[in-house]
Amino acid sequence: MTDVRALVLTGYGLNCDHETAHAFALAGARASRVHINSLIDGSVGLKDFQIMVFVGGFSWGDDHGAGVIQAVRMKTHLGDNLLEFVEKGNLVLGICNGFQTLVNLGLLPGFSDDYQQRSVALTFNDCGNFRDEWISLKVNPSSPCAFTRGMNRLELPIRHGEGKFFSDKDTIQRLMGGNQVVVQYTRPDGSPANGKFPFNPNGSVFDVAGICDPSGRVFGLMPHPEGYNHFTNHPNWTRLKERLKREGRRIGTGPTPGILLFKNAVEFIENRS
Amino acid sequence: MAFRLEIALKPDLFDAEGEGIRQKAKDYFGINIEKIRTIHVVTIDADFTAEQLTIIQKELFTNPVTQISSYSPLPVEFDWTVWMGFRPGVKDNPGDTAIEAIEDVLQVRFGPDEAVYTSKRYGMVGKGISSEDANQIASEILANDIIQQWKVFSSADWDSETGIGFIIPKVILNHTPTVTTIPIGSDAELKKVSDERNLALHPNDIPTIRAYFLDKDIQTHRKRVGLLDPTDIELEYISQARSDHCNHNTFRGLFRYRDEETGEETIVDNLFKTCIEVPTLELKKKKPWVISVLWDNAGAGLFDKDHYYVITGETHNSPSNIEAYGGAITGIVGVYRDPLGTGKGSKLVMGGYGYCVGPRDYEGALKPHLSPRRLLDGVIEGVRDGGNKSGIPTTFGQVLFHPGYMGKCLVFVTAVGIMPAEVDGAPAEQKKTSPGDLIIMCGGRVGKDGIHGVTASSEVYSEHTPAGHVQIGDPYTQKKMHDFLLESRDQGLIQFITDNGGGGLSSSIGESARFSNGCEVRLQEVPLKYEGLNQWEIWVSESQERMTVAVNPTHLDRFLALSGQHAVESTVIGRYTDSGKLHITYNDETCAYVDMDLLTSGFPQWEFDAKWLSPKRRCLFEPVLNEPAKYGPLLLDLLARPNIASKEWICRQYDHEVQGTSVIKPLVGENRDVNSDAAVIRPVLDSNKGLAFAQALIPGYSAIDAYHMVACTIDEAVRRLIAVGADFEHIGGVDNFCWPNIQYHADENPDGRQKAAQLVRACWALKDLCLAYEIPLLSGKDSMYVDGYLMGRYGESHKISALETMQFSSIGVVDDVAKCISMDSKIPGDRVYILGVTGDELGGSEYYEHFGYVGLNVPRVDADRFAVLYRALSHAVREELVASAHGVYRGGLGVHLAMVAMGGNRGMRIDLAKVPVTGVDRNDGVLFSESPGRFIVTIAPENEAKFENLFKQLDCSCIGTVTRDSEFIIHGIKGEVLVSVSVKKLKDAWKRPFGDLI
Repeated sequence: MTDVRALVLTGYGLNCDHETAHAFALAGARASRVHINSLIDGSVGLKDFQIMVFVGGFSWGDDHGAGVIQAVRMKTHLGDNLLEFVEKGNLVLGICNGFQTLVNLGLLPGFSDDYQQRSVALTFNDCGNFRDEWISLKVNPSSPCAFTRGMNRLELPIRHGEGKFFSDKDTIQRLMGGNQVVVQYTRPDGSPANGKFPFNPNGSVFDVAGICDPSGRVFGLMPHPEGYNHFTNHPNWTRLKERLKREGRRIGTGPTPGILLFKNAVEFIENRS
Repeated sequence: MAFRLEIALKPDLFDAEGEGIRQKAKDYFGINIEKIRTIHVVTIDADFTAEQLTIIQKELFTNPVTQISSYSPLPVEFDWTVWMGFRPGVKDNPGDTAIEAIEDVLQVRFGPDEAVYTSKRYGMVGKGISSEDANQIASEILANDIIQQWKVFSSADWDSETGIGFIIPKVILNHTPTVTTIPIGSDAELKKVSDERNLALHPNDIPTIRAYFLDKDIQTHRKRVGLLDPTDIELEYISQARSDHCNHNTFRGLFRYRDEETGEETIVDNLFKTCIEVPTLELKKKKPWVISVLWDNAGAGLFDKDHYYVITGETHNSPSNIEAYGGAITGIVGVYRDPLGTGKGSKLVMGGYGYCVGPRDYEGALKPHLSPRRLLDGVIEGVRDGGNKSGIPTTFGQVLFHPGYMGKCLVFVTAVGIMPAEVDGAPAEQKKTSPGDLIIMCGGRVGKDGIHGVTASSEVYSEHTPAGHVQIGDPYTQKKMHDFLLESRDQGLIQFITDNGGGGLSSSIGESARFSNGCEVRLQEVPLKYEGLNQWEIWVSESQERMTVAVNPTHLDRFLALSGQHAVESTVIGRYTDSGKLHITYNDETCAYVDMDLLTSGFPQWEFDAKWLSPKRRCLFEPVLNEPAKYGPLLLDLLARPNIASKEWICRQYDHEVQGTSVIKPLVGENRDVNSDAAVIRPVLDSNKGLAFAQALIPGYSAIDAYHMVACTIDEAVRRLIAVGADFEHIGGVDNFCWPNIQYHADENPDGRQKAAQLVRACWALKDLCLAYEIPLLSGKDSMYVDGYLMGRYGESHKISALETMQFSSIGVVDDVAKCISMDSKIPGDRVYILGVTGDELGGSEYYEHFGYVGLNVPRVDADRFAVLYRALSHAVREELVASAHGVYRGGLGVHLAMVAMGGNRGMRIDLAKVPVTGVDRNDGVLFSESPGRFIVTIAPENEAKFENLFKQLDCSCIGTVTRDSEFIIHGIKGEVLVSVSVKKLKDAWKRPFGDLI
């Protein structure tokens, strides 16, 4: 039916490829899991895709800074192809390790059409450890981000040891001013986390959980939208189900907020053409 | 030429790693450090130009936003610097990825003598830090001398030009590989060689081995290939295969069991056969969902018509006891190779853990190599990195503290995988090697790792001796191999696959060649980490992350091409034959030539005396204990006992939802902080079927009778599954026994016969319960010799034996995950029910342990009666009548009612007079008896009638309500208020011991 095609990277220690491809399929795209080396050796071409996803995982074991080696390998072998892919108006999504890779590639924040400058970083969580927990997020309604249109607040899992968003003040101001900060950590009631653990799970400055480029077509975030691909992924679903049942309602009737994010991407491509 | 790059966070950035060490120094030893900065050191032992070095520095190892770096020592302020790095030959994972990255960015290849080594130095600021303090931090927090070396510099000693100097932990063996022939003139002569070479041949096996090599026919055949007396490699092969680890000689032994009370003697010939194999095969006939058991690396059950799930469990005790992080990461990564090597290969979908360690705050006189706290930290982190970096969710686990585990800790690791029912049109669970198939080794390279396990620890170190006996698992290399092998499987390129674990190639090739009945191995083809390994070392090395695969020669090119694309090393090292011989050559010279059937014939069975003294005969008794008056504080104190208290910090550092399959998480409830009874995942993303998984571990009851320990453990593991909505008719089990030595010795093991009797009784319980609950044992392992010798205060040493322990894992299929339930109370007004009967069974309970008692009346399972109840509850859950269900486990009803209330964050009003009891007439008995077979269930008021109807004639009683307020109130048997405390206070108490840990 649809001809929106999503490329989901695999290999070298990446590990969220299956569920990310599944999430895109649920959202109506044709998703292909493609090994990094298949892109590099040219057996698969970026030109056949409109969405490219850098997924979660531990590329190269994350031994020298999360996402660093993946970024260098992509840049060394595919640098121009990636830039061309972005220039053509396609979408790039980086989740967790993928977000780390995008900032190391310089595809984010992409100020002034410079998609090669490293000016923000994701570094070790202030809490000193890897952490798996569902967190609350607030979506910036003024952001140009193509993935989050129409979204307001959502809950997603974070699962990382290096998710502290960091940059100097000027860069942060510029990101805020340009509405490039797409999602921020909040308390469960939606009020700002203000750096408070565990609501802000890693010590990110300004509670930043995800940013996009000025066009809104390149988006990176630490939380895992593909980790909320089914209503039973939510940590409180059994409670919600019981409550709804007493009201004569059913749980799990529509797509999850996680899948809505992928649907936005698919619709963006569909509407573009 | 060597270059040393130092990298640190910019000075104004928070150093979380340094802060963690600062905190530990304060908590563990009271050392006050003002500030610690972590400096990563990358030592490049290779030639590069200045320009290349700049690229390496800027592109790879320095983040311009957060880091600073320099090829000369960074000017970081300190009073003391501690440097630590690996000993030669220890797996340096970051060093290996650094080589990959440098090769890629510069488009160069490292030569065989070139390498990258990573290490760290810590700059510590603090006026009060003494030299002893700095050394204590180095040796007891940062480094473990088994695998690491360190140096301490004061600011006065520091040369800002040379810094730490150049430390290159390169392995240099300077050895020509040699095959040695072993003389077998007499049993004594062979025994002597066995002792000298750590062959660990069993004395009873020696005559059989000699008889084989002295046989005239055999000798004639051997002479044709240039051999006569056995070679070292041949004896190593026999030793590995005959070891208790591989061959389970204890479980296959002959037990003379005598009940000292009745004088009755029973001969038990082979516990494995009678208590595991026979019952499982019997159940397999009744249960068509049992797909594959008792022969492969893991057992398989039916998930749906297109998929099978597989499960196995392992322990990694001795290595973890010596080097906690390395042992644990090697354990979890290792067990993940078992499903990968099951059938033609299974994808890993979930993992579990169980840790048994000494009390975390132990400050007594005994001196274990690692303090229990440090050991536990290391084990937790090892499984964290192993699981998280493998991309496999760690969904369930338990920790148990007991002084008996100070001699040797237990680290249980469990792996669950899934495979398609068919591969390339053929059944995926079946596999065989055929003559002509190529033997391919995939994954890591071979070094002196894990050779002869821990016996090597007594060897003297030199600067370049590989510290190979303790390993560090490499989940990155294995993840690449996992992805590659599953793709090969799907393309139909794999005939046979198995992992290289204990015994290395010796086991994996030795066992796989039985299918084709022979093999020829060319050892010089095996890729090595460094030169100079003897042939026998290559053959038995346990270097990690390797699989052995049989590939049809027509598929070789495709297999190797795919391997290359996934950046995985695969090497043809021989071929399978039907010669009936295991034939090994090195540079075309034969170094082993033995019959494939040598191991299956003629070796004597091990024998044990087992004498059972009943608990009464051992003078165990019920304590004389009058009823307490202050139940509120008592309950709070029980919740804060280490084995009950919240261990959220462990669950949170394990990725328990990668793969996007999570349905019931390890922590549930309104605040997502109370332990669920079991984990449920949805392993096939486009299906609504689920896999429920749980484990139980209650070794405390072994102090009374290991029969009931096992019975209660299995019952708990079953109830855990039922509580989340699994189907009672489909439960698979995995038994993991960890037992102290059972061989009687008057001086060394005076109670060996009692421990042997406990093992027999435990196996009887295993058989009885599995038959009663119809649980086939899909997999299982045993680890004997859980004993250790610890030094005491006066230079004396003590033998510490663990409690007789069995961990039981249970797994079941859930038809529709949308019907799963969690344990937390849901909505005010819901009715609280208890299912099952509470008996006078405080023996071995947490309550007695709190007062220092053991008691006598150990909980007993009435399986036939319980099974009716479990079926009824399964039915009620399927009908969606149940709002929450939770088993009553360790700590009894009082503790577990509190868990349900804490999960729901709602008050509860309970009337103990309504609890069905037998032989219990006191409130403490009702609240803290650990009778099995019980559940706490909450029900919406409108479902009450339907629910009660399902439980007519069964042990079921409404004992209270979930309330809108936050008060947890229990009325006693006579109606008096026993406990009235807020749920928040319960939670505070429960979280107090470990709540600050992250």
